[in-house]
Amino acid sequence: MAKEIGADRFGDFYIDGGKVRRRREWRGVSDTLYDYSRWLVIMATLGKFVMKPRNVKAMFRYRWMANYLAVPMMVDRHTQGLRGEYLRICHTEQDLVIDDVAKLLDSLFRGDRRMGNDTEFSKKVVLVDENEMTAVMMGFPTLKCLSRETPSTYVSVLLNQHAAEHYIDVAQEFGLAGDVCPMPEAEAGVSIDDDAPVLGACAVQCNTTCDGSLLGNGVISRRLELEDGIPVFQLAAPLRHREDDVQEYAAQEIRNAIAFIEKHTGVQWDWKAYFECAKRVNYATKCRQEWLEMNRTPYPQVFGSNLALYTETNYMAICGRVAAFEKADRTITRLARQAYEKKMRAAKEYRHRAIVWGVQSHYYMDFLVWLLNCWGIVPLTDMLSMVSTREIREEDTPENREQAYYDMAWLTENMIMRNRTHGGYRVLLDELWEFTQQFNADMVILWEHMSCKALDGMHGMFEDRARELGIHLVWVEHDLFDPRIISRQGVRDQINTYMRTVMREEPIDPSLEVLHDEESW
Amino acid sequence: MSNIGKTLLKLLGKLLLIALGFFVVTFTVYFFNLDMKLTAAIEPFLLRHYDKIERNTHL
Ligand code: SF4
Repeated sequence: MAKEIGADRFGDFYIDGGKVRRRREWRGVSDTLYDYSRWLVIMATLGKFVMKPRNVKAMFRYRWMANYLAVPMMVDRHTQGLRGEYLRICHTEQDLVIDDVAKLLDSLFRGDRRMGNDTEFSKKVVLVDENEMTAVMMGFPTLKCLSRETPSTYVSVLLNQHAAEHYIDVAQEFGLAGDVCPMPEAEAGVSIDDDAPVLGACAVQCNTTCDGSLLGNGVISRRLELEDGIPVFQLAAPLRHREDDVQEYAAQEIRNAIAFIEKHTGVQWDWKAYFECAKRVNYATKCRQEWLEMNRTPYPQVFGSNLALYTETNYMAICGRVAAFEKADRTITRLARQAYEKKMRAAKEYRHRAIVWGVQSHYYMDFLVWLLNCWGIVPLTDMLSMVSTREIREEDTPENREQAYYDMAWLTENMIMRNRTHGGYRVLLDELWEFTQQFNADMVILWEHMSCKALDGMHGMFEDRARELGIHLVWVEHDLFDPRIISRQGVRDQINTYMRTVMREEPIDPSLEVLHDEESW
Repeated sequence: MSNIGKTLLKLLGKLLLIALGFFVVTFTVYFFNLDMKLTAAIEPFLLRHYDKIERNTHL
């Protein structure tokens, strides 16, 4: 039990073959009490959620709801080893995300025909994909923009590494190919297994992120339209998003989506609300740029999973629509500045500065924490956090109203993941090497998601460029949502082997090198 | 000390005792991860329950 950063042997917290950890960390009096107080807040959020009978009913109806038993453990995984400002940044983000997901679940079950069956509420609901920028909802403040896939698959796998396996198997039992990306496949599996809440006036699906998500959407929309009677709009955002000649088409898609939502909900687009959200989107971008600026120095502050998870949520799912995230942006920036001034470090030793590229393994999101604690590899930024930094118009003028369609199209086209996995090799390959120079990185950790055809085709080109530039390129294979293909230890082994054989280094915390966490949540 | 003062002091003492009890119990649960150990034990029952639910499973 130690107050000092890095004095614990973190591997000792794991129970071999166990689902949960032995105990929580002792971080010194003030940090432990802070962590304990945040745990109480999380317990209160969960307690409030289960007070409603319809939510308890949903817990017994939807298989993916069992994963929410693991909420506090998800937070523990990401706060491992953190002290001071880092711990507070992590809680500011995670606790807000938990609160937001609890509200999302509550709303879903309120409108769900099987649970709350609040038909008036349901008429105000627009369903969206999990992998979709919610930009088209920025001007509909009175409507509820809800994603069923976010809690059923996306968050579930963050909570429990095995969460998607059942749904992947269901999809494959019905003939979907096994080499399809397990994310859209699991989402399709939820729909096939009749395990999605049924509600909404209409739905907007998007061709983000790839052919895999088109497949999943096809299966889901069939059930929505033909069985549940919920009309679906297909928002087809161009994949070559950096080309000027696709932007007019992209903006027209946005106009069409807005017209569709207006038609099916009877609610008119509200420009005032849109521009308020636009201001918040710009503010989030400004903060993120400041964090990235710090990460270019020897004293990075908002990095690893603190950067990755929050950016995904704030940029894509929130898109300026929730004021609480603006407040969190401000708090995180204040804490980061404080830590930067004090020249603080999150671990006892920083050995390598890394850019993490590719689509990260979802069942092992706390891998970034492990990299730092086990090998002293600092994950300065990751591919999904390098989203658009373009400022969008935020003043309500006639010209800006026209430009707003292009801005929303730009946001939609540049949704995290598709902004790099699609759009030509400049965005995926060339810019990576520019970032390694900007961030003074000596290492690239390249996630190779084996079912993501968008990335796998460029394997050789990555290797050639890394060799030319003298950057250590470490490949880490995984299968996104399916730890049965490559386990968490399988992921770690790839780093361990590289660090021992190529770098000839010993781990900072040897207790983390091999962990028997295959049964763990 | 007046009677009111004594009653207030008693009340304060009781409140402090309750707060202390709350802290000791919840901190023990927190530190030894008992909340997660309990939910981990519940999960298998829930999974067995989901397997029994009738579903309209189709493409
Ligand atoms: S990881 Fe690749 S295959 Fe999977 S949804 Fe994203 S872009 Fe598509």
